[in-house]
Order: sequence, then C-alpha cells, then structure tokens
Amino acid sequence: MSTGSTVTLADLTRMLRESAGEEEGVDLDGDVLDVSFDDLGYDSLAMLQVVGQIQREYGVRLPDETIADAETPRALLTLINTTGEISQAG
Amino acid sequence: MLCTALTVVTLEPTVPGRDPAGPPPNDRQDVVTTLAAHGLTGPSARARTVVLLVGGDSSPPDGPVVEGVVVRTADSMVRALVLAHAALTDGTKDVALVLDRAGGPGTVRASRVTLRGVPWQDRTAPGRPPSRGPVADTGRLLLWSGRRASDETRTRAQLRSAVGPMTDDTFRALPAVVSCGPGAGPVRAAALCRGEDPTAALDAARAVVADDPRPVALLFPGQGSQHTAMAAGLYTHEPVFTEAVDTVLDLMGDEGAAVRADWLGPHEPHIAVDDVRRAQPLLFAVDYALGKMVMSWGIRPTALLGHSAGELVAATFAGVVSLQDAVMMMRARVRHALSVPAGGMLAVAASEARLRPYLIGEVAVAAVNTGLQTMLAGPAAQLFTVEKRLREDGHTVVAVPATSPFHSPAMAPAADAVERDYAGIRFRPPDLALYSGYAGELMSERDALSPRFWARQITDTVYFGPALDQLLAAEDMLLVEAGPRQTLASFARRHPAVRSGASAVVAMLPARPDGPATDRRTVLGTVARLWTEGHDLDGSALDRLWADGSEHAALRSPVAAGRS
Repeated sequence: MSTGSTVTLADLTRMLRESAGEEEGVDLDGDVLDVSFDDLGYDSLAMLQVVGQIQREYGVRLPDETIADAETPRALLTLINTTGEISQAG
Repeated sequence: MLCTALTVVTLEPTVPGRDPAGPPPNDRQDVVTTLAAHGLTGPSARARTVVLLVGGDSSPPDGPVVEGVVVRTADSMVRALVLAHAALTDGTKDVALVLDRAGGPGTVRASRVTLRGVPWQDRTAPGRPPSRGPVADTGRLLLWSGRRASDETRTRAQLRSAVGPMTDDTFRALPAVVSCGPGAGPVRAAALCRGEDPTAALDAARAVVADDPRPVALLFPGQGSQHTAMAAGLYTHEPVFTEAVDTVLDLMGDEGAAVRADWLGPHEPHIAVDDVRRAQPLLFAVDYALGKMVMSWGIRPTALLGHSAGELVAATFAGVVSLQDAVMMMRARVRHALSVPAGGMLAVAASEARLRPYLIGEVAVAAVNTGLQTMLAGPAAQLFTVEKRLREDGHTVVAVPATSPFHSPAMAPAADAVERDYAGIRFRPPDLALYSGYAGELMSERDALSPRFWARQITDTVYFGPALDQLLAAEDMLLVEAGPRQTLASFARRHPAVRSGASAVVAMLPARPDGPATDRRTVLGTVARLWTEGHDLDGSALDRLWADGSEHAALRSPVAAGRS
C-alpha cells in the first residue's frame, strides 16, 4: 500500500489494464493521456472498476460525482492527486 | 429569428462527347448538359441561375455568359458555396449550379444549390414538427483528398482560405457535409469544423494514405443500450433514417404510433424507455435505420454481429428474415416476455468463470461481453441475493436497465410460446457473414433456418465476446456500431485486435445522451471515419444529411393517432 504517494501515469495504465483484463503488450502508454475513456473503451462498468481499484490500492476517496467529469487519464490523475482524500487508515 | 441555409442536390449526369482520349473538357458542353439535367432550360430560369465551375482561380463577379447563364469559377467546393450563398442572398439569382470536374474525364458532379430560410433555433414547438435543417448545429464536415500528399496540402490551403474569413451566417448556411472533389484520391483528410473557429479543425486534420480500406462490419446493440430520445436528433433530419424508423413503427400499427410518441416526447412517456415494450421496438427501429443510412452512403458491410436483440436486426440485413417477419418476431418476444415474472440483469466486472460459483436458482450467465465483463440475469429476488454477495466480495456491479430476466432459464415458458409464434416464418440462409452471439461464431445455415434457435435467444447465453473474437480473427475490419450508447464499441475498443490497430471501431451515436445536435455530430464523425478509411461515399446521399426528412415524418406525426 502506497498511501499518500502520487499516482503516476504508469500506475494508472497498469490499473486500467488489469481492470479491463487487458493483455500484456497491448499499447496503452504515453499518448493515451488525453484520449477520452470512451475512445479507450472504458464504459461505465470498467470505470467503476478502475476507480474502485485506485481507491483501494492508494487509500484515496474520490467523490462519485467528480469521477464522471474526469473524461481522460490526465483528468483522472489530476483528480486523484489533487482532490482525492488520503485516508491515513489506508 | 430566421437565417438561411443552402440546399444542395447533387447529380452526376453523363456528358456526351467526353472521351478520355478526346479533346480537353469543354466548359460549354458541361454547362449545357448539367443545366438540362437539373431542368434549368427556359431563358427566364437561366437568367436567374449562376454556374460556378470548381477548379481554377476565382474569376471576377461578371464572368462570361454561356447559353444565357453567367459562369464563374472557384478554386474549391467551399469557395463555390460561399459565392453561391452571396449570389442567392443578394437576390440576383435563385439557383447556383456548381460543377465539379476534378474527377477526371467523363465525370461531372453537378450540384444544384438553392437557399431556404430556416429558424435559427433547432427546437420543437408543441404540436409542430421539428424545424427543418439544424442551422444551430455548429459542426460542418469538410472532406477532401488528393492523389499525392502535395495535392492534399494544396486543397487544404484552398479550403483554409475559403473557410477562414467566413462570416457566421455563411458558415451556418453550409450543408452538413461538403465533399471537395468527386475524384477521391488515396490521400485523405476530414475536418469537422466549428463556426466559432472554422480553421482550427482544418489545421489539426491529419492526412492519411487510405488506399486499402478495411471492410466494414456492422454491430447492432440490444437491450441495455437504450436511452431517452436516443437518435432523436436524426429523425426528420435525414430521410433514409426517418423513413426506415417509420417503416418499422408502421409495421407495429397503433402500438408503433404510441412508441413514436413516447420516443419523441415532449411529454413524459406513458411507458418508460427501459421497459421491454419500449426498449426493444425502439432499439430495433434505431439500429435498423442506422444500418439503412450507412448503407445508403454506399457502404456494403461484409460482416454483421448483433448483441442479443440486435441479432435480429443483423439477421434482417443478412436476408434471413424479411423486415416484416423480424418486427413480428421482436413483438412476439416482447409480448411473451411480459408474461414472465419481473426480473433483472446485472453487469459485473469479472470473468464468466469467476461468477459461476455465485449462481443460484434461476440466475444465469446472460452474456459474456469481454474477458472481464459478464452479465447475469434472473428473477428479481434471487438476483438481488447474488448482487449482494458479489458486492460483499468486492466485485464491481452495475444494474442493467431491464425489467425482464432475459437470457436466463426464467424465460423458458416465454421461449416456448415464442417458438410456436415463429412456426410459420420463412427463414433463409444468411447471404453475408452473420456472426451469432448464441453460437459464438458464424451462424450456421441450420441455426438460421430453425425457429427454435430464434426462440431460444431469450433464454440462452449471449457469447458476444467469442463471436467478436471470431469476426476479428477472420479479417481486419472497420467496425461500425449502428446503435446508441457505444456499448459494443467499448467492448471492441478493448479488444487486442483493435488495441493493436489491426482493426478499428467507430460508433454512429454518442456514448451518453447529450441532445440532438450531438447525435448529428457523432454521425458526421462516422462519415469522416469512413472517408479517411478510404471508402467511397455517395455524394448525393451525403447531401441528405440534415437537409430533409421532415416531409415523410410530417405524415406520421406522433400526435396523429390511429395509424396502422
């Protein structure tokens, strides 16, 4: 558990992959920062899964209503790293 | 407030004497032929007509006169439309005839351009059909191409110089799609320009060499993808879509009129869209109409795959059943589904294997969508128990908007009744590659001809993921989702064949409800995607985008009850 640490793009793409059952070697790096989650194929269920995993792994809490506004990986990272409430209990 | 819009009707008349080996193109012959093709023959009509030849530098306003008609030149289709708009709005001319001859010898594309006044606001007053022509939409799609990269760059520069200084009124008057040059070269680009900053999209457009277009496969979503007013932004704004929706609903008689009224509002629907009595007929109509529309552009799909109820739409396009029979089949399913006690469906972010241990009673795996997205269905109380256990174990679960336990054994009595209704239907073997979620692969002739196979679809598991695997393994494809919400497009976008770039996906409607203008913008995005893939699109079909369709619909107004 890396409570309180910053979530990086590498962390996020790993979780995106795992949450959607992506295979290894599938291209999900670098230039996906500004691609919308719709275009990446993350429907509402996949987004809930990703966000749930982030919350568990990093001990952050993201308000449901703000998650819908995070349309890209960049926006989601910003949301996690600025507004996510760090739960010290992990 | 009223403003103006250009109505474009394109013909490709045969010009006599145009021979590739013969003398260079003769302006006079082209002008005479196209004037006749558009019925502009009398001297008075010709005095009120201006001809604009695309290709070459812009000429002075007082160009030469050919056969009693003033002829001018323009360097691009967009420039020609700007000149046409100016001549038509100042009242000196009633008709502009734009001749585009960039396709080479033997081809002339002749567009008859007229002006109409339209309400600035695209809104529906109670008891009145929606306004014609969504002038308030901010998007206009420009398509262009070149034989080489240098041609493409030159055309883009011409478009930029035409679009850049455009006033808001002129921009709004442009048709939804401006196809620049009939000679579709392999270097292609598309820009969905916005009125506020029309050159931004032009500059950002990426040119691609599209000399080997991947064939198109159509995907048709089923229940769960519906939403309020889905695709309503296309109804009365595109005649092929409008007529196809009306054909389906008219086959349903009075019930179809009620479905249409609930779909288009503006009042609260009598029956909610998630109810099987609305979701299934409307999804069928919308999926089918989107399929008809994309085919009207000149696209011939080579493969079809529908999810759940969407498989019946796919079967219709594959010639397995007539449209009339397909609508009857859909209605029989709805009717008998209502006799089954209420149930529901869940989408779970887990594999089929992980979920098997949770199944109790009549709760079953309803659909395998991707490796990590599985749907469950069953009677309400049992499904609630399963949902609770799944959540306790940390699974991500979303309730699917459905009131019937489709694809579970709870539907068995309904399936038996449906099978009896299907006994008299004439089934035929599919005449193109029809992939089945029930078989998880290409539909066999034996399945296609079996009433029982079709009736069992309401109880059996949908193996959409495996069917998609098979489809994408057979050939690299451009998948086009013909339905709302992008549900199937999402599954496909996470597929390794799409992630790797071997195949690609485009959806005809937005991922979430966002009003009629977004419906239309998403369709324009599909046109752009097909164009940059290298598919040739029928110019006269693209003229119909947002130009028309209300005449047909007006006869079938949602307030006119009792139609059959």
